[in-house]
Amino acid sequence: MIEFSLNGKKITSDAEADTPLLWVIRDEFGLKGTKFGCGIAMCGACTVHFNGSPVRSCSLPIGAIANAEIRTIEGLENQHPLQKAWVEHQVPQCGYCQSGQIMQAAGLLATNANPSEEEIEAYMSGNLCRCMTYARIKDAIKDVATQSDAVVQIYNPKLESEQTQGVS
Amino acid sequence: MTRLRKDSIEHSRRSFLIGSVGSGLLMAFAPSINALEVITGGASQQLSGKLFSPTVWFEIDNNGAILVNVARAEMGQHVGTAIARIVADELGADWSHVEIKHVDTDPKWGYMVTGGSWSVFQTYVPMSQAGAAGRTVLIEAGAKLLGVNAHDCTTQNSMVVAGSQSISFADVVKSGKIDRVFSADELAEFKPKSPASRQLIAKPSQALDIPAKTNGTAEYGIDVELENMVYARPVVPPTRHGSVVKGVDDSDAKKVKGYQGYQILNDPSNTIQGWVTVLADSYYGAVKAGNAIKVEYDVGETANVSEQDIISQGEALAKDKTSGTLVVEKGDITAAAKNAKTSLESVYRTSSVLHFTMEPVNAAVEFKDGVCHVHCGNQWQSLFLPVVAKAVGMSEDKVIIHQYYLGGGFGRRLAGDYMIPAALTAQAVGKPVKLVFTREDDARFDCVRSPSVQQMNAYWNAEDKLLGIEHGAAAGWPTLAMAPAFMPDGVDKKGKYDPFSIAGADHWYTLDNHRVRAINNTLAQKTFVPGWLRAVGPGWTGWAVESFMDEVAHKQNVDPIDFRLSLLDASGKNAGESPVSVGGAKRLAKVLTDIRKQTNWGQSLPKNQGLGIAISSGQERDMPTWGACVAHVEVDPETGAVKVHKLTGLLDCGTVVHPDGALAQTQGSMLWGMSLALFEGTAFEKGQVKDTNLNTYSPLRMNNLPELDISFVQNTEFPTGLGEPGLIAVAPAIANAIFNAVGARVRDLPIRPEAVLAAMPS
Repeated sequence: MIEFSLNGKKITSDAEADTPLLWVIRDEFGLKGTKFGCGIAMCGACTVHFNGSPVRSCSLPIGAIANAEIRTIEGLENQHPLQKAWVEHQVPQCGYCQSGQIMQAAGLLATNANPSEEEIEAYMSGNLCRCMTYARIKDAIKDVATQSDAVVQIYNPKLESEQTQGVS
Repeated sequence: MTRLRKDSIEHSRRSFLIGSVGSGLLMAFAPSINALEVITGGASQQLSGKLFSPTVWFEIDNNGAILVNVARAEMGQHVGTAIARIVADELGADWSHVEIKHVDTDPKWGYMVTGGSWSVFQTYVPMSQAGAAGRTVLIEAGAKLLGVNAHDCTTQNSMVVAGSQSISFADVVKSGKIDRVFSADELAEFKPKSPASRQLIAKPSQALDIPAKTNGTAEYGIDVELENMVYARPVVPPTRHGSVVKGVDDSDAKKVKGYQGYQILNDPSNTIQGWVTVLADSYYGAVKAGNAIKVEYDVGETANVSEQDIISQGEALAKDKTSGTLVVEKGDITAAAKNAKTSLESVYRTSSVLHFTMEPVNAAVEFKDGVCHVHCGNQWQSLFLPVVAKAVGMSEDKVIIHQYYLGGGFGRRLAGDYMIPAALTAQAVGKPVKLVFTREDDARFDCVRSPSVQQMNAYWNAEDKLLGIEHGAAAGWPTLAMAPAFMPDGVDKKGKYDPFSIAGADHWYTLDNHRVRAINNTLAQKTFVPGWLRAVGPGWTGWAVESFMDEVAHKQNVDPIDFRLSLLDASGKNAGESPVSVGGAKRLAKVLTDIRKQTNWGQSLPKNQGLGIAISSGQERDMPTWGACVAHVEVDPETGAVKVHKLTGLLDCGTVVHPDGALAQTQGSMLWGMSLALFEGTAFEKGQVKDTNLNTYSPLRMNNLPELDISFVQNTEFPTGLGEPGLIAVAPAIANAIFNAVGARVRDLPIRPEAVLAAMPS
C-alpha cells in the first residue's frame, strides 16, 4: 500500500508498485484532467507536479512516490494565473494536451518568474500539442511572466484555506 | 463528393417550426417537406413529440437561456461557437445567455459528419434563416405583449425593443403561447443580416468550449466511466487485412494482477480480422497482459510489404499514361506532348503520415435494455453507426453513439473503426467494456495518409510557349476503402475516382491543355486502410502542383509570382460562380499580389536564405478558400538542415464568422503544413508502419516554431472552410524557398536534410 498526498489530501492506493501514477490518478481517484498520450514520457499530456516539480505521470511508478505531494490540474482549482491567461489568449483547440501544458508552464514560472523566450521554448518543448497551439501557449506564459514583478504567485489551496481560516 | 454534400446539407428545403414546449420555446427544422405534409397539428405539438429533424436546433427557456444543439464534433475548431454565433446574431441574442450542447446520434438529427472544413460553409445560410425566423416570432409575440406594432420592433441583447419600451426574451417565452411553422419558401425569404448590422458574426469572441479545457473538466471519450466496466486493450494483428488467429497462449498474462482473460473477435462487419482483446480490472493490467500474451497468426498477404514497394508501384502507375481515371481533360495534351519542342518531367513523392491524435483512439461500449451504447469522440457517426450495428448483429436504431470532446480529429476520427473491437468485446463478455489503444496500438491501427507519387509533365512549343501540363497522382484512396458510394465518375465516364485523393489538382490556373489522372495505388489499398488526414487531397496534390509551377517558372526564367499571375486570368471555368466562388481566380491573384507586397518579395537576403511562394484554393473547387503562403528559410549548406524563419499566410475565406477561431485554425494548420514538410513521415515495413511513438516520430514542437504572420482578406463574401486550407501551401512554399536559398530542388516529403544536401548544386 502506498500513501501519498494528492492535491493536498492524504490518500492510499493498493495498486501494484509498478503501476504508473497516471492510471492511479485517473482510474482509482477519478481525476480525469491528467491525460494519457504516449506512455513513454515524450508528449507531456500526463504532466503533474511531484513535490512541486513537473513530472510525466505515465512513466512514474507509484512505488516511487511514497509520501510525496502530487498536484494535478484539478489541484490548481482554476485559480492559477496561467489558467486565466489560457482563456484570455484562447489557447486550447482540442484541449487534450492543455492540462499538461499548464502544469509544465506552472513548473517553469515557479522556478523562473520571468523566463526568456529561449527559456520558455527549452522548457516547453517536451510538451507536444498536436493542434500546434504553440504560439498562444508562449504568449500566455509571457503574459503571466510579465504581469509578475519578481515571483509568480502560485496558488496553493492549502495555504489559502489556512489563511482564510486565520482571518475568519 | 457531390453526393456526400447533398446528403449532409440536411436542412435545405425544410420547414421550420417554432413553438412553446413545456415552459420554453423550441425552434427546429421539420423532418422533411414530405413528412411535414402528412403530420397534422401545430408546431408545438410536433416539437413536443420531438417530430423534428434538425442538424442544429435551439431552445430558449423561461429564464432566457438559449441552448444551441450542435450535431458537429468539437475537436479544437470551436465549431459550436461559430454556429451558435450565426444563430444568435440573427436572433438578436445576448451572447452571455448562449450555451451549446454536442448531441448524441439519433436518426432524427440527420446526417452527422464533421470534416472537409464544411461546417460553417454548410450551416451559414440555414442557421441565419433559422435565427431570423426565431427573431420574427419573438418580435410578433413581444409586440403583442407591449401593445405595439411588430414593424416598430427590433431585437437586441435578448430583448424585443420598440422605442423606449422593451421586453426580454425570457418574458416573451414565459407569457406567450407560440406556435408557428415557416414553410421552406418562407424561410428562404430571410436573407442573412447585412454585414453592417451584425452584432456577433465577424466580431471578436471567446470560444465556449475553452474554459473547460484549462481546468481538466472537459470530458473526452477516454474519460468515460461506466458502471461495472472492464478495461480492455487490443492485440493489433500483423496485417491490417486477412490475419487469422491460430492460437493464443496467455500463460504469462495470467500472472498479471487483475487479468480477466482474452477474447478472439469475430467481426461480421469485416472491419477487423484476426483481432484479440485482453481484459483486466485496470487499464494498466490490460496493457501488461497485452504485452505478455502470445498470439499466433496466419498472416495476410501484405505481411512483407514495404514503403518502397508501395512507392515503386505508384511510380510505375503515375508514369503509365493509360492508368487511372480522368478527372480533368482540357484541350489535347497528347497532341501538345507530341508537338512539344521541350518538356519538363518531375516526380513528387510523399511518405506515409500518421494522424497521431493526442488522445489515442478508444471507445467504451455498454449493452443496456436492448440498445448498444457506444461512447467515444467521432467525426462521422453516420458512417460507422451502421457498421457497429452489423458487427453486433443489431438494427441501426438500436445503436447510439454518444459524443464527447475529441482529443484531436484531423480526419482520424472520420473512421469509427475503433468502435468495433470495443463493441464486440463488450458483447462477448456481457459487461460494459472500455477499450483503449496504447500509443503504439493506435499508430499500428492508424488509417495513415497514403504514400503518394505524382508525375508532372510540362510541354513547350518551339516559341517557348507553355502548351500544357499533365498530372498523374497515385495513392491509396480513403473513400474507396470506407465510403465507396461517394466516388463520382471520371470525366469520360470510364471509371470512378476518390475526389478526396485528387482535389487540388483541378486548380484555378488557366492552361490550354491540361490533363489530370487520379490513380489508385492498389498495393497501398491492400496493405492498409488509407485515411483522410487534415487538408486531405490538396494536402499532397498541392505539393506537386505548387512545386512544379515553380519549376516551370524557373525554366522559363520568369519570376514565380509573375508566372502564376499570368495563368490566373479567371477565364472560362476559372471565372468562379456566385455566391461561393464569386470572382474565381481573380481572388487568388489578389492574395498573391497582396502577399508579394506584404513580404517585400524580391528583397535581398543573406547567403543561404530564401523566400518561397505557393498558393492554394482550399479543399474543393466547390468551396474555394483562396490562400497564399510565403516561407522564409535558411539552409545549412554543410548539413542540409532547413530552418524556417517565418511563414506568412494570407487567406480569403469570405466572411470570417469567428475571427479568433479562424486565426487559431490557421496557426494550427500552417504549422501542420510545416510539420508535414520537415518533420513527419513514417514508412511501411513488413506490412505495418515502423514508427509507432514519439521516440522516432517527431511532429513539430515549440522549439521549431517560426514567426507567423497570418491575415485574412477583409470582405463580406460567402464564408468558406478554414480548418484545413492553411496547411496546403506551406510545404511547397518551403521547398520553393529552399530552391531560392541554395538552388536545391527537393521533391520528396518530408524534406530530409540528406535530400537537400544531395540536391545542392556542386
